[in-house]
Amino acid sequence: MRVKILTVDDSKTVRIIVKKSFKSFDCDVIEAQNGVEGLAMAAKESPDIILLDITMPVMDGVEMITKLKSDPALKAIPVIMLTAEAGRENVMKIAKIGVRDYIVKPFKEEVLVDKVSRVIDLRPAGEAEPEQKKIDDPIDILVLEDKPAIIEQIKRGFEHTPWNVHGVASTGEAIDFCQRKVPDCIIISLSVPDDAAISLFRIIRSNAKTKYVPLFGLSVKTETEEQQRAQQAGFSTIITKPIDFSELENKIGKAVNLDVSGKYFSMDDRFMTVKLPKTCTATEVNEVSNYLKTKTSEAVDAGVANVIFDTQKVDSLNTEVVKLLLQSMQLCRDLSLNYALAGNEKVVSESKKFEESKDWSFCDSIDAAKGSF
Amino acid sequence: MEHAFPITDLELESLATEAVGSVFSTMLDTNAALVSTMEVKSEDYGEGFRLPIDSDQTLIAGTVGFIGGLTGVIYIFMDLPMALKFTGRLLDLTCEEIEAEGHETVNDAIGELTNMIVGAFKNDLSNKGYECRMTIPSILRGSNYTIEPTEDALRRIFKFDCEGSSFVIDILIKEEHTI
Repeated sequence: MRVKILTVDDSKTVRIIVKKSFKSFDCDVIEAQNGVEGLAMAAKESPDIILLDITMPVMDGVEMITKLKSDPALKAIPVIMLTAEAGRENVMKIAKIGVRDYIVKPFKEEVLVDKVSRVIDLRPAGEAEPEQKKIDDPIDILVLEDKPAIIEQIKRGFEHTPWNVHGVASTGEAIDFCQRKVPDCIIISLSVPDDAAISLFRIIRSNAKTKYVPLFGLSVKTETEEQQRAQQAGFSTIITKPIDFSELENKIGKAVNLDVSGKYFSMDDRFMTVKLPKTCTATEVNEVSNYLKTKTSEAVDAGVANVIFDTQKVDSLNTEVVKLLLQSMQLCRDLSLNYALAGNEKVVSESKKFEESKDWSFCDSIDAAKGSF
Repeated sequence: MEHAFPITDLELESLATEAVGSVFSTMLDTNAALVSTMEVKSEDYGEGFRLPIDSDQTLIAGTVGFIGGLTGVIYIFMDLPMALKFTGRLLDLTCEEIEAEGHETVNDAIGELTNMIVGAFKNDLSNKGYECRMTIPSILRGSNYTIEPTEDALRRIFKFDCEGSSFVIDILIKEEHTI
């Protein structure tokens, strides 16, 4: 999957230079002119990294990153400051607000690419992308951890998936494993002795076979110094213990570029069902939104004329879900597809609170929705 | 008794040449040589004061201010052909492509060059102990500019040559918070 780089700068010149710098890589550079636009774009596009200016009108970079870091859905997006404002005091201020790195203007394009590639995996444009796996395909996850209990915990955490977790206790074993079989994803405990995590990271990144394998660091939440060292060495994602397996599953899915459409979309010979999950955060809404056009086109090609939006499991009908459903229904109308909504009592009642959804009618089951066409 | 300005002329010249040198070599792959320095005093203002480049033709001026331990504003004046050339080099665009895009592209590029030069200048000031914040760049187009700062502001004008043409850095700076 193409990585997304969001450049937030009031200068069109800088945005053009950023685009130019990454034109030979398999990535999309998206733009925003100030902090307000930057936050909206970050929520909409879920970029893999943000390049952020400091001095901007409307909302400056410091305010934007402060808001970004206080939003649970956006705080994990790494940020590199790209600014003409250096100087001792500024650098200290930037370091405190949690940016991954900073680049002082003027800058060479190579420096920009180098700093970004330390944070995200940049693949040269045109290089063949590995075949996309589906959410229910088995993938191999290698875990380097010297505490067997943690390996067991990760295995248990993914028991409900077809994923294979392979635990190893040393760098040597990890390298042996990678020589036998390139894993889809590697999790490295940052607490293994003798800086083994950073050594292994460098070995993996310098090997042609494994250089693009997504790597996650694993660390106790409070070990911030250890995490900062790992990030400086190039770890783009750090998973903290205690592990939130739902979050980790999403991160692995994204990093491995799994086709997760099966979580939401299903189709038989007459109906396509779009099933929204219990918790619909910006991540889930984005995932559904990203697959929507492709899946409805597939439905049209397959001669399926009826679409059911199933919100029966949804906990709460927030504005993001309403927007998604509006977008989905419009798409159905554009493609002359019939559609129906199925929802639970809470969703039906909440839909009356929004101007856009107050007139929607919901069926109370999938069968009822199918019968409504 | 006249209060001594905390930055000497030599230091100011060094700050300007280093800032210009760093931005030109990094962003434009070229060098600019300082050819003259003008000390402008309040009695020099009034009719007849001219910038040391042909200011009868249309000039483009990028300006960025800084506020803090020292307060000031820096202008960069250049003629349109030079502005077009620098814009093209920054963005990898031909003159025809830039002209097709209109004034905004050139204005933005010169504004950003000014921003980088003033940023480098300001960062060196910060490292000398004068913390400052920068303003957002703005652009002026026109001819025969006259700038009259307050009497207690120090003003120095540095003329640079680059690839056969000249441009000017006009620095106005003072210790207080008004200029």
